[in-house]
Amino acid sequence: MGRLTDRYCIVGVGETEYSQASGRTTRAMAVEAVKRAMDDAGLNASDVDGMMSYHGGDSTTSTTVVSDLGIRLNFYMDCSGGGSSTEALIGLAIGAIEVGMCHTVAIFRSMNGYTQVRIGGTGARARAPITEAGVMTRPYGYMSAAQNFAFSFMRHMYEFGTKPSQVAMVKVVGSKHASNNPKAFMKKRMTVEDVLNSRWIVKPVHLLDCCLETDNATCVIVTSAERARSLKQRPVHILGVAGRVCKPRIEVHYQFGPITRVAGYHAKDIVFPMAGVTHEDIDVTSCYDAFTWTTLLQLEDYGWCKKGEGGDYVSSGIIALGGKRPNNTSGSHLCEAYTHGMNMVIENVRQLRGTVDDYCPNWQKGQHTYDYSEGHCRQVKDAEIAMSMGWGTPALGSALIMRR
Amino acid sequence: MPMSFEYRGMLINLPDFDRERKEYFEHAAQKKLVVQKCKGCALLRWDPGPACPWCQSLEWTWQQVSGKGTIYSYEIVTHAIQPGFRDWVPYPVALVELDEQRGKPSPDEGVRLITNVVDENFNPEKEENVGIGKRVEVVFLPVAEGVFLPQFKLSKEQPTERVWQFQNV
Ligand SMILES: [Zn+2]
Repeated sequence: MGRLTDRYCIVGVGETEYSQASGRTTRAMAVEAVKRAMDDAGLNASDVDGMMSYHGGDSTTSTTVVSDLGIRLNFYMDCSGGGSSTEALIGLAIGAIEVGMCHTVAIFRSMNGYTQVRIGGTGARARAPITEAGVMTRPYGYMSAAQNFAFSFMRHMYEFGTKPSQVAMVKVVGSKHASNNPKAFMKKRMTVEDVLNSRWIVKPVHLLDCCLETDNATCVIVTSAERARSLKQRPVHILGVAGRVCKPRIEVHYQFGPITRVAGYHAKDIVFPMAGVTHEDIDVTSCYDAFTWTTLLQLEDYGWCKKGEGGDYVSSGIIALGGKRPNNTSGSHLCEAYTHGMNMVIENVRQLRGTVDDYCPNWQKGQHTYDYSEGHCRQVKDAEIAMSMGWGTPALGSALIMRR
Repeated sequence: MPMSFEYRGMLINLPDFDRERKEYFEHAAQKKLVVQKCKGCALLRWDPGPACPWCQSLEWTWQQVSGKGTIYSYEIVTHAIQPGFRDWVPYPVALVELDEQRGKPSPDEGVRLITNVVDENFNPEKEENVGIGKRVEVVFLPVAEGVFLPQFKLSKEQPTERVWQFQNV
């Protein structure tokens, strides 16, 4: 086993409603998500002494949240970042606890990603004057995440013959999972044709290849295994973490090919040895789905299949509930909500506890039917080890392996 | 003098302290496409910046390039993000690999820059004419008094490698 084994745990998870009309401040949402995670763990205000958050200039601060909740901190850090931050901050929280700066860290992300600062990039950010790095790209009408990533997607089709109809299966599978998730913003099951016939955003990306834009806050709480033992939930142990691992020349990563390669290529060499497990040991995964394509590229470069074979892999049934290794069982960013990675980790924590909040009548007691037809179960049977693969850009990724 | 101009209703600011990018546009104003050449290892680089990513030298000079290249990857924007581009969709954005340094300093590297592919009238090139492997050459789009934006148009040269175009299947 690895060096982290049995030393640190995620003990609480919480989120607000996933919506496109929060009608609230990021502050009010963050407070609710942190409170829910504390309640989930059975922690009082005096039991939490660390806080971390990440943002894109679109959120509230740790100091605001702890002032509201009456928490006195020994450590906090709000940093800029989007996808790939969740796993990285969990790793940093472990570091802060390890050196004795604090003992229990709540990590949150709060965003009105639909009603305030749209994740798709339209709105105020698109109207801002063009300066600095934007001078080289924005005059070409090149600015959003989809536009930034599309070169890699196109090149993958060119090099490997991957088809849009194969990639669409990531959405099809995600929507199947979301249909068994009462929290999911988009619960409707989709077909490959639905994806291919949805309107274009930037070719090769259709609307339904894109994640949702939603308003929500999310929280996970990290503490030592020793403290975890006396808390409310079955602890979920952290085995390995890789945080914000980058490709060469990250900001202009397309100068350094192959551009179909993503940062998971490097992150896997950190997270698997640290965790002391192999791919075969892992029962359930979440793989960042800012776009259908981002899931496919990461699954390849983390080594779940050979490079170039991602199209067949995501179409094989392996990643669906009932398959060998279900992926994104909540519906994740494509169907549940856009949380910059937090909902992927939250879902895996619940999978490992065995208490996924599906439509099974007694899910809270861990009693599941394992009937994965629409409107029923989404618990993976006997899930022991789970992995999350976070994405920031093709050149930026993080990963987390946990066991129950 | 700082450069400040409007293009498609968007304000673009190049203050004096943004030295590398401002000089890039000053060369473009003379209809010259330039990239930086490292004085340490002689490699060319894009986009403009203060250091060489291969040898870390801080010394460099501008080098005019032929402006000829090949489309390494591309995309067709159909949903404009910036308001100034709403009446320009659908338009291609391409990653163009310049002829000067292909496959150097390692086989997967090259000098690649982001551009649109435009026609003779500087309108977006039609999607059916754009593809990976197509040859392109630089043109200079007048955007304001004394300001030109480097753009690329399809070249009359025959492709030297496989041409590939996206299909929605
Ligand atoms: Zn050099």
